[in-house]
Amino acid sequence: MLLTTSVGSLPKPEYLTTARSQARKGDISPKALHALEEQATREWIRKQEELGFDVLVDGEQYRGDMVAYFAEHLGGFQQSELVRAYGNRYYRKPIMVGKVTRATPITVEWWTFAQRLTTRPVKGMLTGPYTIMDWSFNEHYPSRRAATLAIAQVIRDEARDLERAGAQYIQVDEPAISTRPEEMDLAIEALGIVTHGLKAKTITHICYGDFATIGPKLRRLPIDQIDLEFANRDFELLEVFKGMRFQKEIGLGVVDVHDHRLESVEEVASNIRKALTVFRPEQLMIDPDCGLKTRTPEEAVEKLRVVVEATNVVREELSAGDSRPRKMTRSRSTARTRT
Amino acid sequence: MISTTVGSYPKVAEGAYTTKLIGAVTKWQRKELDDAQLEVVQQEITCAVIREQEDAGLDLLTDGQIRWEDLVTPIARRLRGFEINGLSRWFDNNVYYRRPILRTAPKRTGPILVEAYTFAAACARKPVKAVLPGPYTLAVMSENRHYASLKPFVLKLAELLNAEAMALAQAGAPVIQFDEPALGFGKPNLKLVLEALRVVTKGVKAKTALYTYFGSLDGALASLMRATVDIIGVDVVSDPHALRELKRTKVTKALALGCMDARNTKLESVSELHRLFRAVTTLVSGDRLYVNPNCGLEFLPHTQAQKKIQRLAEAVRTFKA
Repeated sequence: MLLTTSVGSLPKPEYLTTARSQARKGDISPKALHALEEQATREWIRKQEELGFDVLVDGEQYRGDMVAYFAEHLGGFQQSELVRAYGNRYYRKPIMVGKVTRATPITVEWWTFAQRLTTRPVKGMLTGPYTIMDWSFNEHYPSRRAATLAIAQVIRDEARDLERAGAQYIQVDEPAISTRPEEMDLAIEALGIVTHGLKAKTITHICYGDFATIGPKLRRLPIDQIDLEFANRDFELLEVFKGMRFQKEIGLGVVDVHDHRLESVEEVASNIRKALTVFRPEQLMIDPDCGLKTRTPEEAVEKLRVVVEATNVVREELSAGDSRPRKMTRSRSTARTRT
Repeated sequence: MISTTVGSYPKVAEGAYTTKLIGAVTKWQRKELDDAQLEVVQQEITCAVIREQEDAGLDLLTDGQIRWEDLVTPIARRLRGFEINGLSRWFDNNVYYRRPILRTAPKRTGPILVEAYTFAAACARKPVKAVLPGPYTLAVMSENRHYASLKPFVLKLAELLNAEAMALAQAGAPVIQFDEPALGFGKPNLKLVLEALRVVTKGVKAKTALYTYFGSLDGALASLMRATVDIIGVDVVSDPHALRELKRTKVTKALALGCMDARNTKLESVSELHRLFRAVTTLVSGDRLYVNPNCGLEFLPHTQAQKKIQRLAEAVRTFKA
C-alpha cells in the first residue's frame, strides 16, 4: 500500500546536457551520446533504488520534449521552424504532413535496458494520442478528431509491444487533456483505443487544468490510475473527489516540481493523511507532481527523498493502526479484496 | 476589401530576417545588454516584419508585437498597481503568459505604446494600426486583489486604456484595435463589456475595432453589434458554428473576418478563401470588409506565417464578387 513512484522525466546530469548539445553540432558521435544516456539511466535506476522507490522510471535521459520524441520516431511527422512557447522560450513543434505510422517499436529497447538493471518494476512511458495531436500542427488529417484517432492506433501498438516485453505498468500521459473540456470525450475515446485489452496496470498523468469541468468525466477515463498534481495547488484538487466515491487509483503528486522550495517530510506526510480522508490507502500511489526534468539533479534527489520519507511515515502510522481514516478504510478494503 | 493581420508576427525567422532576438533577450536578462541595445534589435526586427507584410501585399499593417511576450503584460507592466506573476495557460493554447496581479488601484503614469507605434509607422509605407488588449480580457486574465468585484476593475482599465487609445490616435494611428479573446470563453457579462467599450472608445479620434478570437461567441455576436466601435472582428475558424451565427446576425458594423487558421500550418487555398469572402460579402459591402488570419501569427513558425499572409493578399487580389 502507498507505493512510491515518479511521474516520468528526471533531470539530465550536466555531462549529458553537454553531450547532447555537442551531438547536435556533430562534435560527438551518436554512439558516444548513446553510451552517456545509458550511463545516466543506470545512475538514476540505482538512485531510485537507493532512495527506496517501489516502481521505477527510466528517467527519459534520451528524450527531449515528450511529444517531439514520439514525432521524431513516427512516420508522417516533420519538424517545424522555431515557435515561441512563452517568454523567451522557443521550440520546434511537430507537423503532421502524412499518415502517422510506426515502423518499429520506439520505447521498448530503452525500457528493456532499464528493466534489466533492477528487479523492481520499471514503468513503460508513452505520450497519449490527444496530447500528441494537440501539441502538433496538422496538415494531413481533416480534423483534430481524425488525427487523434490515427495517432491512437500507433500508440496502441507501442503499448502492446511494451506489454509483450514484460512491462507491468504502462503510463500513457495526457497532460493536454484538461485544456479543452469540449474535447474530453475525444481524448477518452482515443485513450480507450490505446489501453484496450492491456493486462498491465495503466496510468495516465494529467496536468492541472479546468477540473471543475472535467472532474466528473475522470471516472470515465479507460485507465486504472490517474496521476494528478496535488501539491502545486495546495491539495485543493481533493475537493473535486470529495463525496464522489472515486474508484480508480490515484497517483498523488505531493511535491511541487516548479518550485525550488523543498517541502518538509512532515508537510508532505500531513498532505498524504489529508488525501487519505478522501481516498483509500490501497487506492493511492505517491509521487512528485510532474516530471522533474526542470529541476537540477540535486534538487530532484532531495524532492524524491521527501516523497519516500513522508510516505514511510504515513505507512508506519497505518500499520500501527493509530489513524482514524485507516481503520475506516481498512475494513472496507478487506471486504473488497475478498470479493 | 482590406487585408490585415490581427497583431503578432513571428519574432524569429531562421530562413529569413534573423533569430538574434533570442540571444539578445537572454543577454538583456543577464544585464549584458542594456535597454537601448535591446531596443536596436527590436527595431530591426520590427522593420523586417513590416517589410514582409508590405511585400506580401497587405493593406493595413501591425508592428508585429515584437516587444510583446503576450497580449496583457506589455500593458500591465507599465501601469502602476500591477505586478507580474508566474506562468498561466493562454486560453486553449499550449502557450503560456505571465499572469498580472492587481495589488492597488491601477494608474497610467504616461504613454505606453506611443513610442513603439511612432517608430513602426515611420518604418512603414502603408498604414499601421495600433493594438491594445480590451479592458474585459485584460481584467479577467489578471488576478484582482484590489477591487471587490470585476465591474469596477474592468471600467477602471477601460478608462486607462482610453487614455492610451487617445494618445495613439494623436500619434496618427488610423485604427485602434481592442482584442477581446476572453469573450469566447465562459459566459461573459456582455452588459459590462459594452459599457467598458463605451468608455474605452470615448473621444478616440481614429477608427476603433473590437477583435474577438478563440473559443465560441455562443450567441453574443448580436449584442456585440451594439458596441461603440466601427469594426467587429469575428474568428470563423476556431468555432465551426461562427459562420452560421454571423449569417444570422444583422451586421451593422464593418466586419473583420478571421478567415485563416493562424494556429495551424496547413495553408488555405485561394478558392476556399474566395468561398468565405463570397459568403460574407452578402452580409457587408466589400469596402466595409477587413480580412485577416483568425488571430496573431506568432503561433506559427515564420515560413508558414509568411505564406499565410501572402496567400491572404493573393486571395484578395484575385477575388471577384
